[in-house]
Amino acid sequence: MHAMTFIGPVILLGVVLGFVTMAILFERKVIGWMQGRHGPNRVGPWGVLQSVADVLKLLLKEDIIPHQADRPLFKWAPIIAFVPAFAVLAVIPYTPTVYFADIGVGLLYYIAISSITTIGVLAGGWASNNKYALLGAMRSAAQMISYEIPLVMAVIGVIMSVGSLNLMTIVEAQKNLWFILPQFIGFAVFFVASLAELNRTPFDLPEAESELVAGYHVEYTGFRFAFFMLAEYVYVFAMAGLTTVLYLGGWNPLFGMTFIPPIIWFVFKFSLIVFSLFWIRATLPRIRIDQLMQLGWKVLLPLALANIFLSAILKEIPWIGQFY
Amino acid sequence: MTYTASYLAVAVFFLLGLALPVVALTAGRFLRPDKPSAEKSISYESGVDPTGDSWVQFNVRYYLFALLFVVFDVETVFLYPWAVVYDALRADMGLFVLGEMLFFVFFLVIGLAYAWKKKVLEWT
Amino acid sequence: MVVTGESIAFFVLSMMAIGGGMMMISATKVVHMVLSLAFSLLSIAGIYVLLHAEFLAVVQVLIYTGAISILMLFGIMLTKHHVTEEDDQSPRRWHPFLSFLGVGALFAIIMGVIYQTPFANNEEVTQSYSLEALGKAVFKQYVIPFELTSILLLVALVGAVILAKKEADS
Repeated sequence: MHAMTFIGPVILLGVVLGFVTMAILFERKVIGWMQGRHGPNRVGPWGVLQSVADVLKLLLKEDIIPHQADRPLFKWAPIIAFVPAFAVLAVIPYTPTVYFADIGVGLLYYIAISSITTIGVLAGGWASNNKYALLGAMRSAAQMISYEIPLVMAVIGVIMSVGSLNLMTIVEAQKNLWFILPQFIGFAVFFVASLAELNRTPFDLPEAESELVAGYHVEYTGFRFAFFMLAEYVYVFAMAGLTTVLYLGGWNPLFGMTFIPPIIWFVFKFSLIVFSLFWIRATLPRIRIDQLMQLGWKVLLPLALANIFLSAILKEIPWIGQFY
Repeated sequence: MTYTASYLAVAVFFLLGLALPVVALTAGRFLRPDKPSAEKSISYESGVDPTGDSWVQFNVRYYLFALLFVVFDVETVFLYPWAVVYDALRADMGLFVLGEMLFFVFFLVIGLAYAWKKKVLEWT
Repeated sequence: MVVTGESIAFFVLSMMAIGGGMMMISATKVVHMVLSLAFSLLSIAGIYVLLHAEFLAVVQVLIYTGAISILMLFGIMLTKHHVTEEDDQSPRRWHPFLSFLGVGALFAIIMGVIYQTPFANNEEVTQSYSLEALGKAVFKQYVIPFELTSILLLVALVGAVILAKKEADS
């Protein structure tokens, strides 16, 4: 038993919380710039402390539980939603030396654990005993389960190429070529499905403030609300990390530029994904729910299935087969 | 890294994920005000007094999507080990390994096509 | 018996699994029952991890905790789920006694079977539980059952669509 087994996760938790506060600030800044505004710039120099102030404000807010709500479940729901969000980070390798759990079924672990969050969302919406909340929770759950299928199917092309579910092995298999090139269809399906899993624009229907007020967390205030939001942003961290690992070669350098340390490469690719999420939010409008469900089942799922067999066939073609 | 050490780390992540909200919410209890009133604890319904029951019956289409989800989730459980051993079995028994999965997926695609035709995948 | 980290973990996880089951039985709201069941199933996944069956553990979480629970919750939402389960008012004096007898008999049978089963004393090779070995067994040895599974899934899917469509039309 190593001391790092206990200290490492605590350090990572600090890093993740720091990331979340900065990511929220940058999201607002980036969207502000894209819309010709300044974004938050009052609290601290350049608005750096804006999110910190927001968190402190949430901590000092009164905790209101509606009298019709199911109290025990109302209190548990944000925790059920948050725990898996942090637990999935255990399997993501950052560099050849910075990783926490090197398990054989790492990829499937991520997918399995992240599916628990849907239960937390449903429990929160149901326990609020509010029409908007339950409707938002049901929509959110329907969306999350519908896009989980294309998400997991899209990755199969990568697994066929590597022959392992271990995320370290998957990164090492991308020494020469990142999977974003040979598995481009898989990557496209994965990226779109991950946007929907993260409930981000253009798939932010669960929140849809113009029709559902705020979705499943209408009744939540203060820090309980903060934990739902935190879970969402921790998933942004996790999903950006997973996309980097699966398709962008993890810590592997581009053009053999090994003088840049692996962690910098990882952070660079990771930031690129996070930036694209903000960029997409500033660019695309929200889609309708019928379009959402049809996109998932009628477009992404058949594409993901076709990608599996396409990869298998391309394996057979001489020369091209070496990339699959 | 050994099997035990890896899963110990996983357990630490779970406990830490549980500890953060518990500690933060408990600490918050001493910081936040607590002035309950009858108006505050009414369910929010756009400022109007809530009417009727909120725990309503939902349309059957939600259930159908959940069912499709379970079926395809079970399919992935087969697809993942297949993808892991694909190269090994390809060398061992040729394209039969591709054929058996094509056959397997074919039936599920029929199911999907049937649901599509029966307008289960619509949301109207 | 030696107290190791593994036996402590087993003790904690089995307590969680049994606790989830007991919460399920004592809950009065049907949503609470499903969530207790999901918790119980999650704890069982932890026990699979202890047995070095990591693939089975993640599949347990993926299918049972993640998918079947959601299916049950969605099923509950189809019903009038605000009704809590009421205690049966009519006194049935023999009920507790008969239940106790039934549970006792089941316990006796299970314990009997456990004690009579000859367990191999030698250490199991945990490598044989690997995903590679599992994949080779399913896709090489047990091809026919594997293909039949897909037909079973198809039948379940079509049957559910027919039932639900009938429900929606009426």
